[in-house]
Amino acid sequence: MKILVAVKRVADANVKVRAKADGSAADLANVKMAINPFCEIAVEEAVRLKEKGVATEVVVVSMGDKACQEQIRTALALGADRGIHVETDVDLQPLAIAKMLKAIVDKESSELIILGKQSIDGDNNQTGQMLAALAGIPQGTFASEVVIEDGKAAVTREIDGGLQTISLSLPAVVTTDLRLNEPRYASLPNIMKAKRKPLDVVSPADLGVDPAPGVTTLKVEAPAERQAGIIVESVEELVDKLKNEAKVI
Amino acid sequence: MNAVASSLSDATLNAIKALLGDEQVLLDKASLEHYGRDWTTAYDPAPAAILLPRTIAEVQAVVQLANREGLALVPSGGRTGLSGGAVATNAELVVALDKINHIDNFNALDRTVDCGAGVITEQLQNYAREQGLLYPVDFASSGSSQIGGNIATNAGGIQVIRYGMTRDWVAGLKVVTGTGELLDLNCGLMKNNAGYDLRQLFIGAEGTLGIIVEATMKLTRPPKDLNVLVLGVQEFAAIMQVLEVFQQKIDLTAFEFFSEKALQKVVERCELPRPFESATEYYALLEFETLTEGTLDEVMALFEHCVEQGWVIDGVISQSETQARNLWRLREDISETISHWTPYKNDISTRVSKIPEFLIEVEQVVSEHYPDFEIIWFGHIGDGNVHLNILKPETLDREEFLRQCSRVSQWVFEIVQRYGGSISAEHGVGLLKKDYLGYSRSEAEIAYMKAIKAVFDPNNIMNPGKIF
Repeated sequence: MKILVAVKRVADANVKVRAKADGSAADLANVKMAINPFCEIAVEEAVRLKEKGVATEVVVVSMGDKACQEQIRTALALGADRGIHVETDVDLQPLAIAKMLKAIVDKESSELIILGKQSIDGDNNQTGQMLAALAGIPQGTFASEVVIEDGKAAVTREIDGGLQTISLSLPAVVTTDLRLNEPRYASLPNIMKAKRKPLDVVSPADLGVDPAPGVTTLKVEAPAERQAGIIVESVEELVDKLKNEAKVI
Repeated sequence: MNAVASSLSDATLNAIKALLGDEQVLLDKASLEHYGRDWTTAYDPAPAAILLPRTIAEVQAVVQLANREGLALVPSGGRTGLSGGAVATNAELVVALDKINHIDNFNALDRTVDCGAGVITEQLQNYAREQGLLYPVDFASSGSSQIGGNIATNAGGIQVIRYGMTRDWVAGLKVVTGTGELLDLNCGLMKNNAGYDLRQLFIGAEGTLGIIVEATMKLTRPPKDLNVLVLGVQEFAAIMQVLEVFQQKIDLTAFEFFSEKALQKVVERCELPRPFESATEYYALLEFETLTEGTLDEVMALFEHCVEQGWVIDGVISQSETQARNLWRLREDISETISHWTPYKNDISTRVSKIPEFLIEVEQVVSEHYPDFEIIWFGHIGDGNVHLNILKPETLDREEFLRQCSRVSQWVFEIVQRYGGSISAEHGVGLLKKDYLGYSRSEAEIAYMKAIKAVFDPNNIMNPGKIF
């Protein structure tokens, strides 16, 4: 079985991102970048399926400017077999990404596509669902467990108030939730080996997709700053403030 | 307030209250216990009162009064020390600097800021960050420890290899000496060869010469893109070879080590993933600044070299800040993890190049006499500092364990002496190690120390009984 995994290059989860002064976008100059954490979980799951002998090949794809190759190399070091970089400077949005993934799935005949449920920068949670729709294949979103058996994928989903297990016929799209697995570290020997693994570079045009965005960002601003707390002198004052200022009682 | 009988006369107590105000003098049992001890648990606190001066003038007034009345003072910061330097066991007055905690006069060109002694280390770190700068002295207790205490103990920590000790970050110091006089030392100058640098005497003096009330601290540029490397090695000596080759090419911000035994315990109790599957006897944790893309290539080349030489078996490198933090936890969580086994701890140093032989000798002597003892090593090996920890065997009761460990101390310090090392690398002497000072300092040196103390503190009221 061939697995396709997509990884997105995003600002590191621990970096405090600021809005640009003109409010046009987040300021990513000199910010540490990393694989989107949900995508990292997707890579780990694919690699585990390969280690179990379920998958025969894990292909990792990333889209964006040249720097994305860093994240592809990391995924290769984690155990993916080869990489595809769709190189473009266009601001990519979920629909364009899903269309390009669809083209790659067709070309690669991938039987399982594992994606992060969302990226921590765009927070869209759309790509997996759009890809499944475009490709006309089943989807198992927010997965906390994936078992492949008898040509089907049993996906346990984290839903409101509990878990739901569904069975998907393959090929299918699975998007990962946080509890699916704990990604490993990239070992240095594997990082060195990853340098020799194949990485193909293609363009959106090669995939027959126009990546132009359909949504325009109007404004990016930081959340309002929390006001400092105050110390009240008495219970009466507290009750008064809750009643008249906070208006919660 | 839950007042207890105090050893102070009413007249003295009233005089103190007249100086500071009633609110700034604590006599209740909980406060006496809280302020009377540090993180060293071996001593029972018994101070006479806790004083909380709000100004430098009030500190001077307290010291002058103590001189007149012959009262002993224990200066007190965040009390996170591990050698009993801030413990009051003998009816002393604890002078807690908590309320002298201003941060002001930041100067972007000088890259300095003035701090009251009671400023918490983390507050200074955060303040520096807000200015786009870094206060680089960092250790596990930075959320509680105070700048005054850091200076009085010359605190070290995890980035000494790159940034040095607290001493290196003190540009100016205001101290109230044992006579109550206020000295303004060095005033933030970079260059000042006009006579003795008295500032240096007060740094690391553990409050025996006077009370540090304010400091001008240096700040620096924050590092760019820190990466963490964890390497597995089989032979201890290989760690030193790894250090040598990496230091030739890379500016390391940290070089730490820990043993497989330490790793096992942390992984188990903190539910952290192992860095890699292969288990090796020891692990080295390296942190470095990634200034250019070339740095990572250089690191890979060094790793390859270390593997080819047979020094390193396996290794990982952080791919994100989250991973960097988790890798650091493998080292930083050791102390808390092993506290479960009420360990005997010792903080010692030798010259970096002597560490391997030194470790082997200590292991030999301990296992020869006490084969049941489990030794856990970790430390800031890049600066020659190792922490020796011995876990208490389940079958042994605490008293007997401590008795046997004091014999271990004796042997360890004899080895330290032979290697020309230090019986206290970064934790100070306080009460805990004063009996062993002779293993690291000559009689003549100690006599000079005492003479210096007599100059600044002629009535021996400043933290008496500590260090020597």
